[in-house]
Amino acid sequence: MATPEATGFPCALTLNVPFPDSRLASVALQALRVDKELSPLVTRELSTVAAEGATDQTVLRVVYKAATNRMLRVAVNSFFDSLALVLEVMEELDVDVIEARQKQEKTT
Amino acid sequence: MTVDITSKPRRIALGCEGSANKLGIGVILHEGTPGTPSERITVLSNIRHTFVSPPGTGFLPKDTARHHRSYFVRLAKQALAAANVTIDEIDCICYTKGPGMGAPLTSVAIAARTLALLWGKDLVGVNHCVGHIEMGRAITGAAHPVVLYVSGGNTQVIAYAEQRYRIFGETLDIAVGNCLDRFARALAISNDPAPGYNIEQMAKKGKVLLDLPYAVKGMDCSFSGILTRVEEMAALLKKGELKGPEGEEVTAEDLCFTLQETVFAMLVEITERAMAHVGSNQVLIVGGVGCNERLQEMMGAMARDRGGSVYATDERFCIDNGIMIAHAGLLAYETGFKTPIEESTCTQRFRTDEVLVKWRK
Repeated sequence: MATPEATGFPCALTLNVPFPDSRLASVALQALRVDKELSPLVTRELSTVAAEGATDQTVLRVVYKAATNRMLRVAVNSFFDSLALVLEVMEELDVDVIEARQKQEKTT
Repeated sequence: MTVDITSKPRRIALGCEGSANKLGIGVILHEGTPGTPSERITVLSNIRHTFVSPPGTGFLPKDTARHHRSYFVRLAKQALAAANVTIDEIDCICYTKGPGMGAPLTSVAIAARTLALLWGKDLVGVNHCVGHIEMGRAITGAAHPVVLYVSGGNTQVIAYAEQRYRIFGETLDIAVGNCLDRFARALAISNDPAPGYNIEQMAKKGKVLLDLPYAVKGMDCSFSGILTRVEEMAALLKKGELKGPEGEEVTAEDLCFTLQETVFAMLVEITERAMAHVGSNQVLIVGGVGCNERLQEMMGAMARDRGGSVYATDERFCIDNGIMIAHAGLLAYETGFKTPIEESTCTQRFRTDEVLVKWRK
């Protein structure tokens, strides 16, 4: 396999984002992998993997490779912005959360 | 989701819009048989929040995207509560695919995808311009109008023919709303609630009509040269060196009046020419600039002379909103259209005539 140095993308970073279950990890994967990286100097691979000693794929793994550290920082920062939005939507607007809120509104 | 959508008596869509500085989320209800006069349309909720930049500045993609990300959840909650619907009742999630600014579009698309995946709903990508047109038609009841679509990012004269919204004329450079917005920056006119609104109010007090270039080129028009000239005049005004045709004092209000009269006259001219071409006497004005009452008045005078009338909506539906995306998306969804998650990208350029309008005859 080609090393990052050999491909001209010497700056690399791997993120592992743990989710409560595999459903949410899969939703994050599908929502975030659609938009391509805008710069040709950055590559990104997203996948879900199992946590150590587990079988369920509850961890979102993101592997960034970039030509310079600056490109890497910009791309990863932007990814974190998007990830934060996905997490907020999950926390506040998932089916069970909304149903619980609607039930509460009816009783009060 | 195996239920045939066309046979459902009640169909509900949630729409998410964020192609420019407004974030909008709305819920729409369609009842009756799709594509027939029996189809009834009800707006269940229409919530919007605008990113307003300080006077003298415009909205930048990065800041606008941050605004949309931070308000999305709040607006979605408000839209759901106002619509009083359960997730079960919603059939699809619609989002703006383009045209618009890349970063704001993408931020809303990410949230829309997440919702569709969490709720197990289909996703529908919508052309922003088609959203404006369909919402304008639904609200005004204009059946077969020539459409003038005027906003901060778009200026087009459109007529429907054979399942496409065909562009008859358009701007050759910047949009008319962009011309107005940037003129507002030159005079540091407030962007709250919108620069165009404040120009409109000031123009009402203007009296002196100054000379500006008039740039209609066949069916198209151009606004960048006019902007350059009016910016020069704004600079002279600030120095107190701008004089009227008879050497009289000129105010910022006069400059607002002059700019509006000139660019709106151009828009009326190309719209009239398109009406003559297609033999229609209805004009529908959509887009943010479309809520300008002076433009509506000038267009109305022209339409009356041709024995027709002008159709326009107020700021709830003219200015970018989520409900128009929900409505146009649901129309497409009722014909079987959907956007697979893996293809749910955004695009800054997405022309009005690229969309197959399957829901019209």
